[in-house]
Amino acid sequence: MSEASHAIVVSGLAKVFRQKTAVDSLSFRVSRGRFFGFLGPNGAGKSTTIKMLTGLLRPTSGDASIEGHSIRGDLLEIKKIIGVLPEELPLYERLTGEEYLHFAGRMYGLSSSETRRRTDELLEFLSLSEDRGTFLLDYSQGMKKKVALAAALIHNPRVVFLDEPLNGIDPISGRIVTDLLSRMTRKGVTLFFTTHVLDVVERLCDEVAIIDHGRIVAQGSLDEIRSQRAVGRDASLEDVFLKLVDADVRRQDLTWIG
Amino acid sequence: MDRLIALIACRWRMDLRRLLGTRERAMGLLLLVPGALIFSALGSMVAFGLLRGLEGAEPELVLPLASAAATGIGLFWAASPLLTGVVLSEGADVSRLMHFPIPLRALALSSLVANLAQPAALAELPILVAAAAAVAGVNAGRFPWALLGMALTFVLILACAQVAGLVLHGLSRHRRLHDVFLFLGLAAGLLLSLAPLLLLTTGPGTLAAIARALSGRDVFMISPYAWGVRAAVHAGRGEAVPALAYGLLATVGIGGAMAASAALVQRIQGGHITLGGGAVRSRGPSRAGLPGALGALVEKDLRLAWRDPGLRAVLVMGLAGPILVLFFFSRGGPSLASGTSVLLLASFLGVSTFGSNALGMERRGIALLLLFPVERWQVLVGKNIAALAFRLPSLLTLALATVFLAPLTYVPAAATIAVLTLMLSAGVDNFMSILFPVAVPGAAANPYGRAAARGRGLGAVALSLMLLLVALVLSSPFAFLAWLPALLGRPELWVLTLPLGFAGAGCVYAMLVAAAARLMEKREPEILERMLVEA
Repeated sequence: MSEASHAIVVSGLAKVFRQKTAVDSLSFRVSRGRFFGFLGPNGAGKSTTIKMLTGLLRPTSGDASIEGHSIRGDLLEIKKIIGVLPEELPLYERLTGEEYLHFAGRMYGLSSSETRRRTDELLEFLSLSEDRGTFLLDYSQGMKKKVALAAALIHNPRVVFLDEPLNGIDPISGRIVTDLLSRMTRKGVTLFFTTHVLDVVERLCDEVAIIDHGRIVAQGSLDEIRSQRAVGRDASLEDVFLKLVDADVRRQDLTWIG
Repeated sequence: MDRLIALIACRWRMDLRRLLGTRERAMGLLLLVPGALIFSALGSMVAFGLLRGLEGAEPELVLPLASAAATGIGLFWAASPLLTGVVLSEGADVSRLMHFPIPLRALALSSLVANLAQPAALAELPILVAAAAAVAGVNAGRFPWALLGMALTFVLILACAQVAGLVLHGLSRHRRLHDVFLFLGLAAGLLLSLAPLLLLTTGPGTLAAIARALSGRDVFMISPYAWGVRAAVHAGRGEAVPALAYGLLATVGIGGAMAASAALVQRIQGGHITLGGGAVRSRGPSRAGLPGALGALVEKDLRLAWRDPGLRAVLVMGLAGPILVLFFFSRGGPSLASGTSVLLLASFLGVSTFGSNALGMERRGIALLLLFPVERWQVLVGKNIAALAFRLPSLLTLALATVFLAPLTYVPAAATIAVLTLMLSAGVDNFMSILFPVAVPGAAANPYGRAAARGRGLGAVALSLMLLLVALVLSSPFAFLAWLPALLGRPELWVLTLPLGFAGAGCVYAMLVAAAARLMEKREPEILERMLVEA
């Protein structure tokens, strides 16, 4: 596949925090319009990678490009075409949900009238219309997640980075969100997605990369990964994941329980 | 007992880590120790001298004045978290312990004992000893009983502060009440901080009048804070029965406060006190008043500032500051109440925007803000415009006061000097905010949170002083232009000098912002790393 058909190209990306390597020479490519799952145990380097790709962290070495724009070049150009749903939600808590989306739309350069139109549609779509006038401070975690997702989509981004997007969201909203995301990929939007909910990955992702201790230990479609790692074709993603990250899940019983 | 010791040890460990968490804090603690020693020594001398003097000269004044003093200290102690806005309640501590099977009395007692080891509480102990020695006089046998009485009042002060903290915590569950109390508390705290200035300007007569009013009637005998002190005074005089009676009352007061604490903990954490969520809703649909990304930034900052009770208190008290300073000027006679003093005040008002830490107010929101594809000069200008807007009330009071203190023609000059020094100070302060980003802790922040334990560092303080000097140097030619007609006594020249001053300052500001925006683009990841770790 040619370079031009890739939305995300990562080559030798690394991040070292005070002699501790969080991300170690990552290299991978994500084709345009793919639903890309980026998996790994806690502390594997998923969020650090997303922060580097979205310009929130400077890489120690290596480079990456989003839709042809290098993260070492003009970050503003990248920020115009991406949407980001961070794991932690640093929302302005004393703005209402509606005010926050108006703010986000105008910061992405949309006109006031277009921002208003898209805000109304997003609030309706994500079942937030009734709470549009409530401060974000008084939103539940799931509602905050939905507002942050709405802000990440309001400018029609070409690449969307979603860090644990389904955490705290109820099953109904979760289904609405995942259906929306699937439809977005069919329209050519590339989704870079991290989660610990592996059955969602199995259901949605065209391709996954599994990261452990800052290094990619497997990448490809689920079938490709299963065949690479000599697990049965019926093995669940959880089995594959545990095998790949070399997880020791066997434990003795706690001596005082029971 | 084991649980009690574990709770106290845990609290002390957290307090110690908070104090020694960073170099700046540790340095602050080092400076605090001699300060606390001096405070203790001076306080002890004053307490001993006043009580001995009164006991000798006017013994009938000892009980009412000591009762009033104990009540004043007790009330101030209870209200101090609210007045400073550092933390609204003890909830940060207690709520984390509620899921353990700890008896409520152990929880309340551990908090009280842990509070005794606070530096502020420890600094009071020598004063208690001195006060007890003063009321016991030469009779050494009465000293332990007098000290016991003083200690009862002190413990009651701490126990009542704990109750007040828990009441505030209960109220803080209701968003509107939380905001209203925080606003009123901070505003009262700011006004109280200005009280010494008022006393200075009104002279010693005010203090004497207050003392006369307090000693006329012994109204504070009914104050629980006074009971321990009264027991101490009676014990010092060898009056066993009233000493015992007041001692018993004080002990009952402490027990009552502890019981109230335990009950409040149970009712608040158990959800028995239902004040309603008090979720705040905006009135009407959101409207965009200002155009473009710059307008959105300014609107956002103004909305957030107006809705943050801490910032709103500062904003409203911004009205009081210049009025008080001008009041001080007006009492200084004709030499101070002149056009020159007004123009000087305008310069000081302008420089006050230095240190506003534009990016720091974003706290964790900085990650969000920098994700938007907005030119960085717009971010800086938006922040500076909002900072200028926060100073508008001060500018208005300055203009109003100028009308009373100086010829009317000074109003445009004073306003021009204030605005252009505000503008250039904000422009220079952008560099400080970019080079030493630090998240500003929010009002009522958790005292054990990271943001409360961080500072910019000593190097930043030195650079800050240098940059303040730069702001003064940069604004001085334009301020001088605005001042020149007053110096020459030719007010008609203001038609020429004021626009010239504005234009010059505007050009310098544009250059400052352009340079700061370039620096910000380069340092963006570092800014984020530092702010996100801290906030």
